[in-house]
Amino acid sequence: MPSNGSSSGAAVWAILRKECRSEWRTRYGLNAALLFAITTLTSVSFAVGRLTDRVDLLSALLWVVLLFAALASMSHAFVREVEGHTLTLLRLVASPTAIALGKLLFNLVFLAVIESVAVPLYLVLMGAPPPRWGAFLALLGLGSVALACATTLVGAVIAQTRGRGALFAGVALPLLLPVLAASVSGMRSQWAGGPITAEARLLAAYAVALFGVSLLLYDHLWED
Amino acid sequence: MIARVLLLVWIAGWILMAFFWAPLVPVLGETTRVLYFHIPAAWVTVLALGWSMAHSVLYLRRRRMEHDHHAAAAAEIGLLFCVLATVSGSLWAKAMWGSYWNWDPRETSIFFLLLVYAAYLALRGAIEQPERRARLAAIYSAVAFVTVPFLIFVVPRIYFSLHPDPIINPQGKLDMDPRIRIAFFAMLLGFSCLFFWMQSLRVRVARMEHRLDES
Repeated sequence: MPSNGSSSGAAVWAILRKECRSEWRTRYGLNAALLFAITTLTSVSFAVGRLTDRVDLLSALLWVVLLFAALASMSHAFVREVEGHTLTLLRLVASPTAIALGKLLFNLVFLAVIESVAVPLYLVLMGAPPPRWGAFLALLGLGSVALACATTLVGAVIAQTRGRGALFAGVALPLLLPVLAASVSGMRSQWAGGPITAEARLLAAYAVALFGVSLLLYDHLWED
Repeated sequence: MIARVLLLVWIAGWILMAFFWAPLVPVLGETTRVLYFHIPAAWVTVLALGWSMAHSVLYLRRRRMEHDHHAAAAAEIGLLFCVLATVSGSLWAKAMWGSYWNWDPRETSIFFLLLVYAAYLALRGAIEQPERRARLAAIYSAVAFVTVPFLIFVVPRIYFSLHPDPIINPQGKLDMDPRIRIAFFAMLLGFSCLFFWMQSLRVRVARMEHRLDES
């Protein structure tokens, strides 16, 4: 079995590079996720029209779009290994913690790519008032980290069940509700010109707690 | 056998006491009596969740199927009591606030517990191999436990609660008529015993099923 050395930064970095490379070769997951995000965005935009003065709705719908995009794509990193029967080999060369950390970083990058397309498009299509960029990006970043921590762990669990995709959203949602509540309320006060420190602190604390528990649990992910 | 009959008499007796002996609270009127049913059910929900999660962590440490039986049984019973607490609370909300559901913080937190239980049981249902099911369900249970304190802190920050707070209040004191308090604690005790009895039944069934699977 792998020793402590293989859970070091080098192994995590190697897993991240391998993930990025294999994703870039097919781009199947990325295309599907982008298309999904844009579909959600379009249906929201069609259904409610432009919302220039309703910042409460704007912040809620923005996070609904991001949540859907994450739920549609975040289990992909582990499901792909199971479907391609490559997980055993991967486990021979790296410790569970290294694999999970690599996948977590990959999911973060993946989420950032999706957001870099979906968020500007959202702001334009919905006719949103200009955000306070510092606060806006801080909330987006913290929310994404919490989202990625929760979905990576659930994705690893879900990949080992029957009917992988169908369960993922339902099982991940209870873990994402605090993220959703805090990010939406933060976004709202960001647009309304209020302070966001309380929400940002909550999101950061939640992300740290999830990450800490994940680190303790990664070792139990695979055993048979 | 005697213990079960005693439990039946105890709960039935205190229900009668709640109707004919304990007084009504001025504002709540006749709806006061939901107190003896709704709060114990909510209490058992939380107790069962804690029990399930503690056994999940124990399973991850010791790898004994016994802990998994406990975790699964407590989750099933917890879901049952969670539904009871939600429905009784919702009926009460219709009587007092005029609507069945309004995303009051207490409604939000009980709904969250419902979701956690449902997701946990759905996850268990999707894995066939017992050891793998036990391990993955325990992992999920441990993560879900992290979110509970956050919901308690996040939700009240965002929504204002109308829920009466004789028990969960900032002053941390019990604000009840002595007779109501006695009937309430008696029901709480009765419900807790009911939970542990159902739990032991369910665990015994799970143990037997496990033995049958192995042979």
